[in-house]
Amino acid sequence: MFLDPDSKLAQRLNPILFLLPALSIYIVFAIYPTYSVLEYSFTDWDGINPERNFVGLENYQKLFSDKIFWEAFRNTFVWSGVIIVINVGLGLVIAAMLARVWKARLLIQTCIVLPVVISPMAVATIWRWMYQPTGVINQVLEKIGLGAFATPWLGSPDAVLYALAFAHSWSTIGLSVIIFLAGLQAVDEDLYEAARVDGANPLQSFRYVTLPALRPVTAVVFILTLTQSFKVFDIVWATTQGGPIRFSEILSTYMYKRGALENQYGYGSAIGVALLVIVSIATIIYMQIQNRQDR
Amino acid sequence: MGRWVLLFILGVIAVLMVSPLILTVFTSLKPTTELVNPPWYPPISPTFEHYARVWTDGGFSRYFLNTLIISVVDAIVMIFIASLAAYAMVFMEFRGKMILQVLFLIGLMIPVTAIVLPLFQIVRSFGLLNTHLGVIFADLALAVSIFVFMFSSFFMGVPKALHEAARIDGATEFQIYRRVVMPIATPAVVTTALLEFLWSWNDLLLRLLLMTQDEMRTLSVGLLNFQGTMTRDVTGLSSGTVIMAIPVVLLFLFFQRHFVRGMTAGAVK
Repeated sequence: MFLDPDSKLAQRLNPILFLLPALSIYIVFAIYPTYSVLEYSFTDWDGINPERNFVGLENYQKLFSDKIFWEAFRNTFVWSGVIIVINVGLGLVIAAMLARVWKARLLIQTCIVLPVVISPMAVATIWRWMYQPTGVINQVLEKIGLGAFATPWLGSPDAVLYALAFAHSWSTIGLSVIIFLAGLQAVDEDLYEAARVDGANPLQSFRYVTLPALRPVTAVVFILTLTQSFKVFDIVWATTQGGPIRFSEILSTYMYKRGALENQYGYGSAIGVALLVIVSIATIIYMQIQNRQDR
Repeated sequence: MGRWVLLFILGVIAVLMVSPLILTVFTSLKPTTELVNPPWYPPISPTFEHYARVWTDGGFSRYFLNTLIISVVDAIVMIFIASLAAYAMVFMEFRGKMILQVLFLIGLMIPVTAIVLPLFQIVRSFGLLNTHLGVIFADLALAVSIFVFMFSSFFMGVPKALHEAARIDGATEFQIYRRVVMPIATPAVVTTALLEFLWSWNDLLLRLLLMTQDEMRTLSVGLLNFQGTMTRDVTGLSSGTVIMAIPVVLLFLFFQRHFVRGMTAGAVK
């Protein structure tokens, strides 16, 4: 800082000084662990013993024949599918309605987005309480005459994954609504006007004007929801820990159990790598779409 | 479909969206005798006794403090390291810039969930398990690339001529950063601070792994633990949940515009 700013030395040193704080933390605590997870996945390390053996692709072979892994894999896809249907489908409909309303719009938007800032841990606590056999959900079902549908949501093999996905959607749909709203504001008002002149009713103008114009934004929300739902750990861990039995086991909880709790670091890391690959591919697609839109 | 029908449907959705939060607040304020009432009955004689109990006996005061320390330090440090790095990436010429660009891009793709096992080992090898610093380093590392890109895109909007003029006046890069560029970057600073605070406040997984001693626990881990041991303590659990939610809800209500902009920009996390 006391160097002549035009000197060669300053010009060489400056980028290093500016980048060093961010880069050193980033490399040590993000890039290196990413490299390590790959490395561990080729070993039989238990996480404690200083000795670890290179076992080649053994962990991955085990992964392919591991029934529980495939169950978790399937659950993760079902889980993501449910969340995508709600967050993309319902999110779009809510945003489209919200865009047509002026009165109380900010208030309504605030109510819908508010759960987004609530911690997944708090979300888990709230919904665990609501899903209890005698909890709010079942009490409401009784009250409105749908008592036949009442079930111990988080203890039921058939319902647990969907119930948790619904709770997760509750806490994330606000984000898709915001993104859709931003997209809707970019739609040319004249198109709606033209549709109205042609005698289109609101549903038709939604179908023929809104939907086509929003196709790129929908792609963005789709991929975003997909990547986010694949990374989820907190809400499942804090409610069922993957249970009952393994009916809500997803990749992240299975990895945590194998790696952190059962000390199978090598094997847990192989699951981590599988997660890393899926999420990275989805994120690259997301960024490609985003870039194309920005142009 | 008339506007009023739309407004009605949206009103119902809005009420449904906030009702889990409201019911939780109701429960946390009910004296134990009122728990037999349905959850949607408001408390008749509200009490703060459960909050007091959770705060002192439940250890939530300690958890709150830990969470606050980590989140505030995270937010402040993130502003500096991300903006400095972004400044170098946008205004300076040096070799290897392309490689760094790619390196930061990788950071956008790494899911924290996938790398927690080696991360634990690294934090342990530095002797930082059960320290605020260990969690802070991990938080910063896993989010820094998002904010570097956020600041970069903001800095790219700063006229190059402004930077050039300051250089000709003999200002050092650091002086330009501090006196010229950062004052205009206030929106990016606010967004970074809010978003990093929020993520840090809410995270469970990293804290679960890196904070094993009770006195180092954050609210997320404290609540998880409380839930495990006090399954039937409905009022205690809801009070704990509200204690954890209040700071971020208030921040959100005050800075909604910034949050909305930031959450869409930082959505990849």
